[in-house]
Amino acid sequence: MLRFVTTRLATTLVQLAGLALVVFFAIRALPADPVARLVGLNASRDAYLSSQKALGLDRPVLEQLGAYLGVLPGSSGLLQGDLGRSWVTGSPVAEEIRRVLPITLELITISFVLAFFIAVPLGMLCALRPGGTADRITFGYSLFAGSQPEFWWALLFIFVFFATLGWAPPPLGRLDPMTRPPPALTGFITIDTLMAGDLKTFRDALHHLALPVLTKVFVLSGPIIKMVRQNMVRVLASDYILYARGSGLRPGRIAWMALKNALAPAMTLLGVLYGYILGSAVLIETVFSLGGIGQYAVRSVLAFDYPAIQAVVLVIAAISLFVYLALDVAHALIDPRIVT
Amino acid sequence: MAKFGRTTTWRAGVAALALAAALPAAAQTQLLYLAEDVPAGLNYDGPSVSVNTSQVGFINIQEPLLYYAYAGLNEEGVRMLDFSKFEGRLIEKWENDPATKTWTLHLRKGVKSCAGNTFTADDMIYTLSRAKSVSGQAPIGWFLSSIASIKGFDRSVFTGGSKELGDAVTKVDDYTIKIQQSDASTLFLMILTNYGMAPFDSAELKKFATPQDPWSHIHANTVNPTGFGPYCLERWVKDDEFVLSANPNYYRGKPPIDRIVIKKVPQSANRALTLRSGQAQLTQRLTAREFDSLRTAKGVKVAGVFGNETLFLNLNWKTPPFDNPKLRQAIAAAMPYRQIANIGYANQARRWEAHFTPVLNGFVKPTAQFPQDMARAKQLLAEAGFPEGKGLEKYESAFRLAFTAERESYLGPIATTIQSALKDVGIPIQLDPMPQTQIADRRLVKKDLPISISDTEKPVGPDVIYATKLFFVSTTAGGVNNMANYSNAEVDKAFAAALIEADPAKRQELAKFIQETLQDQLAWIPLVETRTQWAFGEKLSGISWHPDNSLRLFDLKLEP
Repeated sequence: MLRFVTTRLATTLVQLAGLALVVFFAIRALPADPVARLVGLNASRDAYLSSQKALGLDRPVLEQLGAYLGVLPGSSGLLQGDLGRSWVTGSPVAEEIRRVLPITLELITISFVLAFFIAVPLGMLCALRPGGTADRITFGYSLFAGSQPEFWWALLFIFVFFATLGWAPPPLGRLDPMTRPPPALTGFITIDTLMAGDLKTFRDALHHLALPVLTKVFVLSGPIIKMVRQNMVRVLASDYILYARGSGLRPGRIAWMALKNALAPAMTLLGVLYGYILGSAVLIETVFSLGGIGQYAVRSVLAFDYPAIQAVVLVIAAISLFVYLALDVAHALIDPRIVT
Repeated sequence: MAKFGRTTTWRAGVAALALAAALPAAAQTQLLYLAEDVPAGLNYDGPSVSVNTSQVGFINIQEPLLYYAYAGLNEEGVRMLDFSKFEGRLIEKWENDPATKTWTLHLRKGVKSCAGNTFTADDMIYTLSRAKSVSGQAPIGWFLSSIASIKGFDRSVFTGGSKELGDAVTKVDDYTIKIQQSDASTLFLMILTNYGMAPFDSAELKKFATPQDPWSHIHANTVNPTGFGPYCLERWVKDDEFVLSANPNYYRGKPPIDRIVIKKVPQSANRALTLRSGQAQLTQRLTAREFDSLRTAKGVKVAGVFGNETLFLNLNWKTPPFDNPKLRQAIAAAMPYRQIANIGYANQARRWEAHFTPVLNGFVKPTAQFPQDMARAKQLLAEAGFPEGKGLEKYESAFRLAFTAERESYLGPIATTIQSALKDVGIPIQLDPMPQTQIADRRLVKKDLPISISDTEKPVGPDVIYATKLFFVSTTAGGVNNMANYSNAEVDKAFAAALIEADPAKRQELAKFIQETLQDQLAWIPLVETRTQWAFGEKLSGISWHPDNSLRLFDLKLEP
């Protein structure tokens, strides 16, 4: 097992290194000039050249790569764990990512857990009586939820729950803007408010999370229900379940046995979904003014903020690869044949 | 450095909390201002200087040296400025000796920064020395000083010349300095009103100097630029919120609003919705239709001004056949001004009849006009040598209309309208949306875009001569951003003369000549002037318009 994990870890590192190089050259191959964007359209030629020099873009590309990797004498780069400074804000990119990443992780993790706990029983229910009323209703919902983009649902929920009913707070981020937030220890607002013992702000955080999480859960549950249902139907039709039924085991026990086997392939899909949602969180973040890593990525791309783009791609890829690695290990534990 | 940032922000937060605690809770007024973004950086010599949402940050933290007198309200209640009248801010009095080209500036006494330091001549020397060092990523201080013709602020600083202030600026005493000019630029006082000349609290910034960053650009940009303005930075979470608290020591009196929270809400629809709900008091940069819908909303007001926001068609003089004056006139006569105002701006725009906007100092409406007249356009096209567009096919690659893809929502329909109008007179064009960074590169660096529409040119110096320098003076004569590659020796000569002409009447004659010439030759094709607008709660007053299009928060008042 140790060898398996080591090999997978080494593969992950090679993938990350390759990705870093591809991103580095790809963004420089695009027909755009970040200097012009930064100094503004009314800048003088002298100001432009001065800015170009300050950003190091007057140097040959390979020298820029050396500085990025941190292999030039006296330079600090990727190998030293330094992601550089954002050209837009001037702040260390690592510091910025530490701030925005937990916002997105909190949103999608809470959404995933809730979606999972809602979708799995519903999927099971549908599978126990395929074609029944519950199955038809759930099937209709899963199609309905997935038929519109999530930002559309988000805007609709804001209109209904904030503008019309007044139940939800305005879509202005994670807390009421006029409140003073707790110190950012973890970056997860729910955890930070609890650690600060500030229950009032904790409730405010939950209130502000409600609509974005509802949107995510509403859209995410559809494919998870369908996946669990399909797997359950297949497993319930298998020989060993027939044998269990023939042996007179209780339906609850049979359902539990079936669920364990149905969830194994679902885990892989969940891992893929998590990485995908992480990379595409920008829509919900924008609609609810959450300022997570999705918005940060879009802002960086539009500003051609090379250090930020490179770091965001690496971080999102690293998280996805880590999730895949964890799933591989989990699969290997369930099915030792994978290790060999 | 990251630790520095957190520590300082924490200290500032504690100071602000202490300040808040010292005030009677009931008396504290707070304003929630929804913006499409919050400042990305606060150093005006830094990378965010050209971003309006960043400008609103440092403009309200720092204080200008001079400013303009208020001229009264426009018809919608927006306070306007008189760009011909300067009033003292950090500089209380000023004298000019034309013989020696020397300005004596008397600084205001008793001005304190948010850090508690007193403003003196040392802050002026520090700020100008920092500008001359051209050590920031966008040397705006140097650029403005060069336009003001401050001695030694020339291009030599980039080619090995001295980056020291030298004898250009001398301290007479703690509250008096002398500045020497290389030429008697008439733009000197105007430049001193600009945010890019606002002094830093040198005692505070020097604390954060490092061998790699002796002028504390990183600290100013990422933590706090610490000036002498009406507001102090209380809290700043990039990409999220920007909180200002009133500077209790502000020399013009404590600001009427104690605390202002600028919150990033990227979706304009959500900004409008929240304002309508009464949970925010101020927003801007909504779509024209959102502003329209808010006009009738209960408890909400909308006000605006035709300031310096415009849209024009840029035809590159170096790209044939756009060097043909008759063809330029034909294109101008084909422009569907009314449809552009309607489709792109929900009629919150009007035809632009000049190369400058009427609010600028020295503006005159030029005689030559090119209203939409399709018959005239066809006639001019024939006179240009392309009857019904015949002969233009060999310039096919030049007829690609570029615009910023990120503004596709309104520039796309405008481009399509232009395409349709030109087709009607026999000029076929293709649409070419491209990312902002690519547009910037092609406009600023390569200057090779054949045709483009642009709405980003807003001269922060409200003066025709300053705007001429930015957009129309040829590169060889010191032009800055002449994206059309327009070159006219007469205009260059008139600009050079106007720059140093002390007699206002003679200067105005030169300004008139420049404006008439640009319009006659259609240096570019002016399309529409667009309204700068704000939507705000009915209890808020004091909205004022400034050439940088950033609100002065000190002017705002909020009824309980």
